[in-house]
Amino acid sequence: MIFEFLSAGLDVFLSPLALGLTFAGIIIGLVVGAMPGLGPLMGIILLLPVAIGLPPVPAMGFLIAIFVGGSCGGSISAILLRIPGTPLAAATLFDGYPMAQKGRASDAIGIAITSSAIGGLIGGVVLVFCAPILASFAANFAPPEYAMLAIMGLFAIAVISGGSIIKGLLAGSFGLLIATVGTDSFSTGLRFTFGSNNLLNGFHIVAVVVGLFAISEMAAQMTKRDLLKTPEVKVARPGLQTIGLTLKHYGNLIRSSAIGTFFGAIPGAGGVISSFTSYAVAKAAAKPGEKYGEGAEGGIVATEAANNATVGGTLVPTLSLGIPGDASSAMLLGALLILGFVPGPAMFENNPDVVGGIFMVYLASNVFLLIAGILLTPVFVYVLRVPKVYLIPSILLLCSIGTFALQASVFDLQVMLVFGLIGILFRAADYPLAPVVIGMILGPILEANFRRSLLISRDGYWIFLDRPVSATLVAVNALLLAAMVYLTIKRMRGSKKSDLAKAMSAEE
Amino acid sequence: MTSSRTLKLAALGFLLAVIVIVFWQIETDLKEQGIASGGPYDNAASYPYSIAVFVGVLLVLQLVIELLNDKATPQTEAPEAAEDIQPSDIRRAGMMLAIFAVYVMVLTTIGYHLATAPMIYAIMWVCGMRNLLKIAISSVAIATGFAFVFEVFLNVVLPLGIWNIFIPW
Repeated sequence: MIFEFLSAGLDVFLSPLALGLTFAGIIIGLVVGAMPGLGPLMGIILLLPVAIGLPPVPAMGFLIAIFVGGSCGGSISAILLRIPGTPLAAATLFDGYPMAQKGRASDAIGIAITSSAIGGLIGGVVLVFCAPILASFAANFAPPEYAMLAIMGLFAIAVISGGSIIKGLLAGSFGLLIATVGTDSFSTGLRFTFGSNNLLNGFHIVAVVVGLFAISEMAAQMTKRDLLKTPEVKVARPGLQTIGLTLKHYGNLIRSSAIGTFFGAIPGAGGVISSFTSYAVAKAAAKPGEKYGEGAEGGIVATEAANNATVGGTLVPTLSLGIPGDASSAMLLGALLILGFVPGPAMFENNPDVVGGIFMVYLASNVFLLIAGILLTPVFVYVLRVPKVYLIPSILLLCSIGTFALQASVFDLQVMLVFGLIGILFRAADYPLAPVVIGMILGPILEANFRRSLLISRDGYWIFLDRPVSATLVAVNALLLAAMVYLTIKRMRGSKKSDLAKAMSAEE
Repeated sequence: MTSSRTLKLAALGFLLAVIVIVFWQIETDLKEQGIASGGPYDNAASYPYSIAVFVGVLLVLQLVIELLNDKATPQTEAPEAAEDIQPSDIRRAGMMLAIFAVYVMVLTTIGYHLATAPMIYAIMWVCGMRNLLKIAISSVAIATGFAFVFEVFLNVVLPLGIWNIFIPW
């Protein structure tokens, strides 16, 4: 079964367009990852309008490669500037920056890139083997199971993703409400359209997401006073010998990749938890000579292998169940929906070439990461020197052209601007933005399956308890709800934040 | 300067406004269409209604938490929340948003090629750049570069405006 997917995917993947866009995605991902304030999610959001005009596999290759490259790129600025480009690389600076201070910046970057690529490949192997198995298990799922899974996805993200749980739930519920705008697919009635034809199909998710994340981020960047400053960064050229340096830590590499993949597969956990956890585990298991926090190679290996393996893990529930693990995979899921594919068992059944193509682009993007990372690091270092005064208007322009290009609609631009203001308000009031996107993606899945369940039920809501898998998911949701209450009370009592909590609250 | 407490209350107020709109629309528009009652197939209001009720409960809980936090830590929150952001920094961000809003409004009227370079120019000025020639060259180069990529490689037709201005690449 697995080889059928891979051979079907290989035919689609081996085209100049898919290969070229996957490589381009890695380069763009490394650049956006390296730039503090951007990151893989922003890269996916900014280039989503470009991708959705392409054939499915090249489009997904482009976006997945941005995800992979962006998850690694943050390490470059963490090592050279002591500023993690993304929160995923927050743990990398513990040892990366001290190593650079000792004159080993090139080695540190090379180890980070090699560990990311190997971690990503290990995550990819898990993806290729586990996703079809999970999809085949989920083929027996009916609307009650899907409704409960959607609720579980939202609850898990609120529980695990750090910060205030109530704010996470409020943001997620806001996303659910946004998704109800437009024509109701059951009754064909119009909901919350206020008589506007522009709202018949609801808000375009790209316009909403670009506004929420990109416009609000640019406004946040404008409040800083380093807009004209050219960061002083020394050029670092990692060599092939860093592959050997990384492979010396093979035990750490495999363990951290396993931790990353595991956390990736749990909705809401994501790369930050996995990189901090694997760092802690590696530190605990370190040999007496290894001084973590003072430039230990093992520290970089642990964090980078884990955060890139997370990408493979997070694609497992995204592709096989249609439940995204984090905001970036929610955007990938959104891209698949826009391209006309509904992630889940049906996609594995009906579109094996697309599923196989996604497996292939994910595996290839990690190989490309190693090649591009080793060869082109000096270029990314030069990009770090571009002052924000040039980047901010360029990103705003990319947002506006990209959003306009979706449907040649000025209304989408207005939606983007309004959601930009909402994003600014949410950021200022410490509301997480990722649950809004996940709520918007999961909303239609939840509502359609909830209503379908009640339609096929003879005993009303009991249908959710009559079926064994659905009943299990109800129990899991009840446990998550109890965990939410417990954590809310606990977090209210303890106000001091750990390093992990700080990094996670800055994740967006 | 806007305090952290005001912003938190503003966010709660915004979400309250959202659920008020949901209830108002259910009571008026959805009832008029006949989709606010009946079974799961016909009743398009029950799901948004349930979510809005859930949001309402969460809003009350969050408000209680905000009030309790205020009582527990009356003055220690401010320095951390402010993070050294001065009114001039917020003004800069506000000006950027205002320029961008004007750009979005005039884009289809005057077209991409006339609207974009001035927008970039103005934002660079707001950022603090004062070398006029450098700003002018940069803004024209960025605007033209993006137009080239989107029009030539991605076949996107950018807004031409009422004067139908385009570059024949």
